[in-house]
Amino acid sequence: MIKINNLHANVETDDGDVEILKGISLDIPAGEVHAIMGPNGSGKSTLSYVLAGRDDYEVTEGSVELDGQDLLDFAPEERAAAGLFLAFQYPVEIPGVNMSTFLKTSINSIRKQRGEDELDALAMLKLIKSKCAELGISDDMMKRAVNVGFSGGEKKRNEVLQMAMLEPKFAVLDETDSGLDIDALKIVADGVNKMRSPDRSFLVITHYQRLLDYIKPDVVHVLAHGRIIKSGGPELALELEDKGYADIIGEAA
Amino acid sequence: MPQALQVENLPTPKVEEWKYTNLGRSLPANLVLADIPQEIFIHKNRGKVCEQVEDIVFAGVENQHSQPRLKIVLEEGASLTLVERQNGEGAYWKNMVTEIELGPNANLQHIRLNQDSAQAVQTNVMNIKTDRDAVYNGFSLNMGGKLTRHEIHAQIHGSNAEVSFNGVNLLNDQQHGDTTILIEHQVPHCRSNQFYRTLLDDKARGVFQGKVHVHQEAQKTDGYQLANTLLLSSEAEMDTKPELEIYADDVKCSHGTTTGQLDEEPLFYLRQRGLSEAQARLLLVQAFVDEVVDKVKNENIRAEILEITNSWLSNALEN
Repeated sequence: MIKINNLHANVETDDGDVEILKGISLDIPAGEVHAIMGPNGSGKSTLSYVLAGRDDYEVTEGSVELDGQDLLDFAPEERAAAGLFLAFQYPVEIPGVNMSTFLKTSINSIRKQRGEDELDALAMLKLIKSKCAELGISDDMMKRAVNVGFSGGEKKRNEVLQMAMLEPKFAVLDETDSGLDIDALKIVADGVNKMRSPDRSFLVITHYQRLLDYIKPDVVHVLAHGRIIKSGGPELALELEDKGYADIIGEAA
Repeated sequence: MPQALQVENLPTPKVEEWKYTNLGRSLPANLVLADIPQEIFIHKNRGKVCEQVEDIVFAGVENQHSQPRLKIVLEEGASLTLVERQNGEGAYWKNMVTEIELGPNANLQHIRLNQDSAQAVQTNVMNIKTDRDAVYNGFSLNMGGKLTRHEIHAQIHGSNAEVSFNGVNLLNDQQHGDTTILIEHQVPHCRSNQFYRTLLDDKARGVFQGKVHVHQEAQKTDGYQLANTLLLSSEAEMDTKPELEIYADDVKCSHGTTTGQLDEEPLFYLRQRGLSEAQARLLLVQAFVDEVVDKVKNENIRAEILEITNSWLSNALEN
């Protein structure tokens, strides 16, 4: 499904380019959920932005393939059409654009890029209603501007809603759990679990082991200083929780 | 004999209020004073509620210097929605004065669509006086003219009155658009709002000067001011000067101005959701403008304005 091979990436700063990702290799077969854990500054968010194609990062080496297509040649919107979805750590507020216009434009842009027919207003309304009902999201959220005045929990639920509507092949969840109380966390995790399927894979980036109690990963990777230093089963997350990052990073070094 | 224009009596950038706008340099040459003065007088009697929108036009004529006058008097409890259109052909100077008097509990929805010709100069002074409980809700779309200057002077002298000045400036080429507002809060418990959004392309220059003057007796004043500008070109220029002058000690006044480019973050967010870069930019600038157009209460007029603004925005982003 997704193959990341020896990925190196720089970020532009005032002091010149700084290398953040120093050779990440990762293979996530279809149907699997992989988790990446790591301390602040390890490159977790950079990885998610690089995968999604944000301008501020420059890939200097390596490749990212989704079903055999090299994503690095694609613009962000082409990656989205190819089936990549990023749930943002900080979902962006867009004043003046209401949720339903946003969802409609988003879905139809992707359908158009894929050569599919655009959904008409009625079909769109039905789709929005059914997905909202599934995720326990109230209809009046649809009348509000995208993420404007949303609580932390609402923002993250909104990300999961968009993911449910766009049905990506590969979803990256960037610290979707950060700052959520346990009820909001459960709603978000439920939404993700409902979407697990043999032809979809997930990369769950998190700082805390807690999320992995609700979204059971197949593989856990530990990221430090821009490299994956250790990989293992779900028990690795528990070990991290137990010992802390410092020990594991120390062992690997 | 056509009357000659006394250019030496015009305000120059040496006058503080005119520091950003050089009128003399922009006036077309060889102007002739219009021989028929254009005057429109609208008077609504006590309690008259006008269901119909009134639509008036001030048309500029090539090579003419005209001095249109508009006077609107709404007596107690009267209400009106007025659309004022500014257009014309060729080079001309329209020097307009508007007087508005709102009686107690009167309500005026005033929409100004400024679409003067590309060579035109429009200078426009509007004086508004509101009595108690009166509401003035103004919206101004400024996109025409080589140089336009809108000066608004509001005197709130009856309690619980509310005045709102909302505006969208869409300027390109070498257009110059100046909005200068002075609001005098003279009595307690009144509200004033200023909400302007400006888009500047090419070498266009925008000016926004907004001043709220809260007199000592005007306690519980609620004054709000926001002026945001998006620059679509590196050669465009915006001058903003928000001012608060407050002598009362129990008021709520805020002001904010921003000038910049489209943020990268929402652009990337929208592109991650499948929108092309062009689509994402258009959606964001439309939203930026729509938030002000939303202040227009009449649905048909709002739709007309959005059609105009959306077409301007599509053109601006295509180039």
